[in-house]
Amino acid sequence: MAQAIGSASQRASGFGSGGLPRNGGSAKGSGSSNRPRMTWKNNLNALVVDNERFSQHVEKGILRNFGVETEAVETGEAAVELIASGATFNLIFIDISLPAMDGPRTAMQIRAMGVQSKIIGLSSSLTEEDEEEFLRAGVDKCIEKPLTTAWLVPVLRELDGQI
Amino acid sequence: MERNQMRRQVALTRQSLFDQGFLDEQFIQLEELQDDANPNFVEEVVTLYYRDSSRIIVNIDQALERNPLDFNKLDNYMHQFKGSSTSIGAKKVKAECTQFREYCRAGNGEGCMRTLQQLKKEYAVLKRRLETYFQ
Repeated sequence: MAQAIGSASQRASGFGSGGLPRNGGSAKGSGSSNRPRMTWKNNLNALVVDNERFSQHVEKGILRNFGVETEAVETGEAAVELIASGATFNLIFIDISLPAMDGPRTAMQIRAMGVQSKIIGLSSSLTEEDEEEFLRAGVDKCIEKPLTTAWLVPVLRELDGQI
Repeated sequence: MERNQMRRQVALTRQSLFDQGFLDEQFIQLEELQDDANPNFVEEVVTLYYRDSSRIIVNIDQALERNPLDFNKLDNYMHQFKGSSTSIGAKKVKAECTQFREYCRAGNGEGCMRTLQQLKKEYAVLKRRLETYFQ
């Protein structure tokens, strides 16, 4: 893959200026392309616990694009440590398969620490057993990857409304 | 003048990826996540896709050498592969993934192997086309 960052950013800003046909969807606000698509009453933030770098990158990208400040870690242990150090999150995504401490056990530990944030279990291949295990561990909901904007927006709206 | 020509060429290359069925709307969703703060988002995601998914292909290759075949395992691997292919809008690759999974469910090992070969072709072609596009 070409690594020319300079030319890539030229191309990126070229595409942002909308000369190309697109399939409907919500375009970014005119003017600053850094403006997220939606604004919230509150500052929403999220934690992504996923050691699959591809999906972690996409999840972060989507959340960030919606104005959600997002941190990502690759292990359950790192997530627990982060929370133990005092970090709080409105929304936590945990992948089911993590190295060492798996998703459900991570969720259990986080709940045991008294965290009441919305926790979403993620899996690239969600079975009924996986879902049950995750729900028993204390997640609010399970979804199959990839995370999509269509799924995320109502969830963020709900969260923002509740705070 | 030259810059406009270049932009037009890049636009045509991009459009052909859609017209020829290599990419679908999901790729556009990724493009919409790219901004000044993350100018290389799409290229990064695609790079990670090829890195991560090549590992899954190795796993599938190895699993296809087993005897008897574990169709459940194969299906799970392919589900994962399909998920990430869907995320980047890799339309033709995704179609082969679906076909592979159907063969898994039917317990058709030969079908799986044939489909995997086709999948690898589509996967490689898309990679070349995207490399050209990003250059």
